[in-house]
Amino acid sequence: MTTPSSRIPAEAIDSLLLDTSPYLSCNDCFAQIDTYVEGLIADPTYQDIPMQVHLHACGVCAEEAETLIALLRGEDG
Amino acid sequence: MTLMQPAVSRPSHERDDAWVSDLADSGPLGHAAQQQLHELLLRATRHQVWRLRHQLPGAGSVDLDDLAHQAADDALIGVLGKLETFEGRSRFSTWVYKFGILHAGVAVRKQAWRHREVALLDTYEPVESSSGPESHVQALDLHRALESALAADLTPHQRRVMFALLIDQVPIDVLAERLDTNRNALYKTLHDARQRLRASLRASGHLDSGSTGRRS
Repeated sequence: MTTPSSRIPAEAIDSLLLDTSPYLSCNDCFAQIDTYVEGLIADPTYQDIPMQVHLHACGVCAEEAETLIALLRGEDG
Repeated sequence: MTLMQPAVSRPSHERDDAWVSDLADSGPLGHAAQQQLHELLLRATRHQVWRLRHQLPGAGSVDLDDLAHQAADDALIGVLGKLETFEGRSRFSTWVYKFGILHAGVAVRKQAWRHREVALLDTYEPVESSSGPESHVQALDLHRALESALAADLTPHQRRVMFALLIDQVPIDVLAERLDTNRNALYKTLHDARQRLRASLRASGHLDSGSTGRRS
């Protein structure tokens, strides 16, 4: 049972006001996550701004990206 | 070309092409390719279920492995259904892993939230302030502007989605299922709500124009 929260904690304000532009949908993130993660592993300075913005804003997609990175690094290691 | 050939004899993209081609085979070759695909998916689902096991405190190792197997079975169907969309921009194994990870994550969160109520509130109380005395007035001003923007500039649906995802920390796929919608639609709702709040606070001078953050 979740206790409903009707108060906004101060630490949530930055999240409410997060700039999520350029917009990238979860579907588009999923479509590109494999190439993005391979690019990141090959070059830690690899940049893909829409992906980075989305992963900063979407906890579930970010969690999936972290798992994919860990899985591939485990294989490579 | 088949899976029977030594893997080291060909570049990875050629092995990927052969594997994808074998998966379309209706005979023993296709069956072997699907088995290999399922093993790969199981590796991904086990990895993800293990990473997220803290969300299922009552589950033992057998329960977790069952969940990983179920997710791998579901992911196999997903991969086979999307096979023609594989363009070879990543390794095939990486492309496959993401399906396993997705299905395992969804399964764990669904299990973790199955007895939990999701409150869909579109009302709120004044923002709690944790700032010190020096910045108290400034923080209070921002909080009031934010409350005003939340009330005036967002729809009830936008407020409900925003509060559920960002305040109550409901996972986006769990909320999507409860609202009979999808992750994409909820993320778009959240994006639009954030844009409206930012525009409102920029207009009132509480957010720097063109900046990514609020004024300190």
